[in-house]
Amino acid sequence: MRREKVPACVHPETYKYFLDRDAVIPTWQRLAARWGEPRHNTSFRTMEIAAPRFTLRSTVLGNPITVLRRRECTADDVAELHALLGYRE
Amino acid sequence: MAIDSDLAARLAMQYEPATYRRRIAGHDVIIHCHHYNARLQRTIEGARGIDGKGIIVGAAETVFADQLARALRPDDDEARRWAVAELLYRHLGFGRIDLSQVGAGIVTADSSHFVEGWLAGLGESADNVCSFTEGYVQGAVYAVTGAAVRVREVECMARGAERCRFEVDRGERPPVTPNRKEPPIPAPREPGAGWLRSPHVDEQAIIDAVVGMPMVGDDAGLIPAFSVYLANMPADFYNRICIGFVEAMRGLGRDKTAIRLLVSDAEHCGMNTFRGIMHSPEWDGLIAPMVRDRADALHAIIAISNALGWGDWHVTAHTPRSLALESRYGYEAVGYREFRGLAAAPQCAMLTGVAAGVMELVYGEGTVEERYGTFSAREERCVSCGEASCNFAVEQVE
Repeated sequence: MRREKVPACVHPETYKYFLDRDAVIPTWQRLAARWGEPRHNTSFRTMEIAAPRFTLRSTVLGNPITVLRRRECTADDVAELHALLGYRE
Repeated sequence: MAIDSDLAARLAMQYEPATYRRRIAGHDVIIHCHHYNARLQRTIEGARGIDGKGIIVGAAETVFADQLARALRPDDDEARRWAVAELLYRHLGFGRIDLSQVGAGIVTADSSHFVEGWLAGLGESADNVCSFTEGYVQGAVYAVTGAAVRVREVECMARGAERCRFEVDRGERPPVTPNRKEPPIPAPREPGAGWLRSPHVDEQAIIDAVVGMPMVGDDAGLIPAFSVYLANMPADFYNRICIGFVEAMRGLGRDKTAIRLLVSDAEHCGMNTFRGIMHSPEWDGLIAPMVRDRADALHAIIAISNALGWGDWHVTAHTPRSLALESRYGYEAVGYREFRGLAAAPQCAMLTGVAAGVMELVYGEGTVEERYGTFSAREERCVSCGEASCNFAVEQVE
């Protein structure tokens, strides 16, 4: 998987994480198990999980996942997220 | 605080499809993002020789004293009145304030739209940045108790504090300025004549989707949508601070400079805000499938801006090097008429800057800074001057 920085966002370290196709469903299952089931916005065809330190948002296809960090987000929070996403720097 | 059905009804958004206006607690609200709000504050407070901070604090005090008064009910006890004041702040997307110790002269905030905007867009600040909240709390104290107070921020999250902290001074001061203005002018002309549409972009679907979004603050009182922080700002606040800024600068012979600065802020806003929107999952989910070329992107952006309440504006001519727009009911022009009457010159600095900014975003190349200034916009006619509509012309700079 890879990630791309997203400009002009709520946090300077905002990225889109592009999951491998086979990883999309299990990744969202892991995220839901950790922070709750995603909410769907049918008008925009998006879904999101609002975690305490991030918002995880994607189209209904689930890929890529845009991770909007809150200001309180720490390196440990990011490390935990990366472990769930299966992302390595 | 639990939001009961009574409070929810008081703060429910009323949408007027004929002009795209949104109304909450008796005030038209305009949705802008943290980029614009932080930049506007920096411009007004950063101008030498005027009291820019006073303009922002005074406008917030006046406008929110009025909006809160409209949200309160005669049978509300004092606890409920304070609860409404906390809730309105959070509901509009400004963050989360704690008014439980206001009687002891202390107010705190652990979440702030303006702090987030400043840190994300402008970097760390040497000064406290919550002038807006100072004014909001002054307006809240006046609406709840009838007392005119001064509120001063003594600790700010923008400078590393755990939370923002405000002190309330109940000493002598002038009364709160009422939000006095003329009745709104009617929509100037029938919509639709001469507007260009894209055959691929379903503008109404975009507008319906945006209007249908719950644009209210989350638990932290923030609205993270389209990859930016949005807020529902009363149009009267924007109009008061922009008119006040230009008039104060006129006293120094710098009113044209003031207008250029306001246009520049909006030009950056047009690029930054919509760049964030175009990279958002919301764009990918609904809008990207409609967009086949850059012109489609432009039409989609204009549709979004209409849904945000900016100007009821529409494309009347368009090439990759030029753009003409007509606005029927821009909040700047209408607001100027309400506050000052007929104007001698066009007043829509925000729409003028955004018009250039969106062309730079859609047709430009490179970074935001590299694109800045590559298109030039001017307002040729304005409702504030008595014209039937506002008209903008944008051209690529050779």
